[in-house]
Amino acid sequence: MLDIRAVRKVYDSHGRQVEALADITLSVADGEFVCVVGPSGCGKTTLLRCIGGLLPPTSGEVYVSGRRVSAPPDELAIVFQEYGRSLFPWLRVDQNVELPLKAKGTPRRQRTRLVDEALEAVGLTGARTAWPWQLSGGMQQRVAIARALAYEPKVLLMDEPFAAVDAQTRADLEDLVRSVWRQLGVTLVFVTHDIDEAVYLGQRVIVLSASPTVVVEDIAVDLPDARDQLNTRADPRFVTQRTHVYSLIQKAKRTAALA
Amino acid sequence: MSVVPVLRRVGLFLGLPVVLVLTWWFASADSVQFYQPPLSKILAVFPSTWTWQRFDHDVVPSLTRLAIGYTIALGLGISLGALIGSYRSLRALLEPVLEFLRAIPPPVLVPIFLLIAGIENTSKILVIASGCVWPVLLNTVEGVRAVDEVLGDTCRSYRIGGTRRLFTFVLRSASPQIMAGARQALSLGLILMVISELKAAHDGIGFAITEFKDGFQIPEMYSGVLVLGAIGVTLALLFWLVERRVLGWYRGARAAERSAP
Repeated sequence: MLDIRAVRKVYDSHGRQVEALADITLSVADGEFVCVVGPSGCGKTTLLRCIGGLLPPTSGEVYVSGRRVSAPPDELAIVFQEYGRSLFPWLRVDQNVELPLKAKGTPRRQRTRLVDEALEAVGLTGARTAWPWQLSGGMQQRVAIARALAYEPKVLLMDEPFAAVDAQTRADLEDLVRSVWRQLGVTLVFVTHDIDEAVYLGQRVIVLSASPTVVVEDIAVDLPDARDQLNTRADPRFVTQRTHVYSLIQKAKRTAALA
Repeated sequence: MSVVPVLRRVGLFLGLPVVLVLTWWFASADSVQFYQPPLSKILAVFPSTWTWQRFDHDVVPSLTRLAIGYTIALGLGISLGALIGSYRSLRALLEPVLEFLRAIPPPVLVPIFLLIAGIENTSKILVIASGCVWPVLLNTVEGVRAVDEVLGDTCRSYRIGGTRRLFTFVLRSASPQIMAGARQALSLGLILMVISELKAAHDGIGFAITEFKDGFQIPEMYSGVLVLGAIGVTLALLFWLVERRVLGWYRGARAAERSAP
């Protein structure tokens, strides 16, 4: 479904050349849930933007459903970290969720149904006529997720979506994402700096190095399909894998510091 | 006890005007100066001066010209402003010329427009439009420039483009700024309306005031000024009502921002 080949991204900032991504090659199968972690500043967001067609790579290609990505592809939706800024403040919640469908040309009756279902999936049916700024951070991010769901994408990209949310809300949202993923069978690429979250959520965890960024390791998560915050996080396999990822990242940070 | 807060608001709203009017009344009551008649005399000439005929002959044409000029300014200002604000190179290209044109005081253009467009309605509408367009244009440019990046990315990733993007995203995002420009333009428009009628006119409130002045009808002249003031207040009130509806979301969002921890 997703094919990233030798993607390299160099920024030109104030005369300095910054190599955000050196060489990223990875594939994501249809319906897979992949988490991407790495040290801070390693270019996780850059990678996501390249996959999502928001940023052209300096070299290398991204393929979604076999088609080369040069602009945001049709069947792809992105959930950004800054939920407050990604919702339209002059539209109510249901109008926000509906807007991409209107742009897509979905007929009205189908639109209403999709919006209703999406809001129900994220548990916000009661807030459908609220303004975004009347909602808490967690609820706003849910609206953003509902909007992505209603769009019925084949690929969902999430860029550190829960970084700016408190821990308890984050736990709820993590479970929400997993349940939505299982329900819809969408291909999910989830970028996070939270190692525990990456191991808890993903079927695979891609660990990135520090700048110049490459893929350090591609770990298949050895945990049951049915996961919950209490038991899974206490599972010895969770602890082992989490420790492993953590040590990889620490090593990556140290190598960067030496270079 | 919801009466008290209402009374308080009405009191605050009307308090100072009432005090000023009363001060004027009593300060001018014994005046024998020809050019400073007592307020009582000014008010006394109202019924005979501001008849329906005069309304028809002067007030309606004035306000109509204001409405047309203002609408042209809004249409031109918002559409050009959106275009210029969206393209950095275009803005850089046009900025010096815009700054130059905007610096010309509209009253200076009155004779020029009179020469070009004659003494009928067209020249007056041009004066109003040429002055009012600047606050709207420049505010629109700024508003369009400052649209949120994340929202822009959201639109791109959901492939919301073209006119939908312009109307549902760009213009609505810039609407607080555009409204601020429109408000400035309204005050300016009222002034230009009068100025355009001071010379070479044959109807209008400004024309009427000038006629009174030339005919030494001083209380009537002052009454015209009061009418202008009343029109200004009414227009401001109407604008405020429109703004409340259009920018309801903005007030709520700002309030939420301010009260956030």
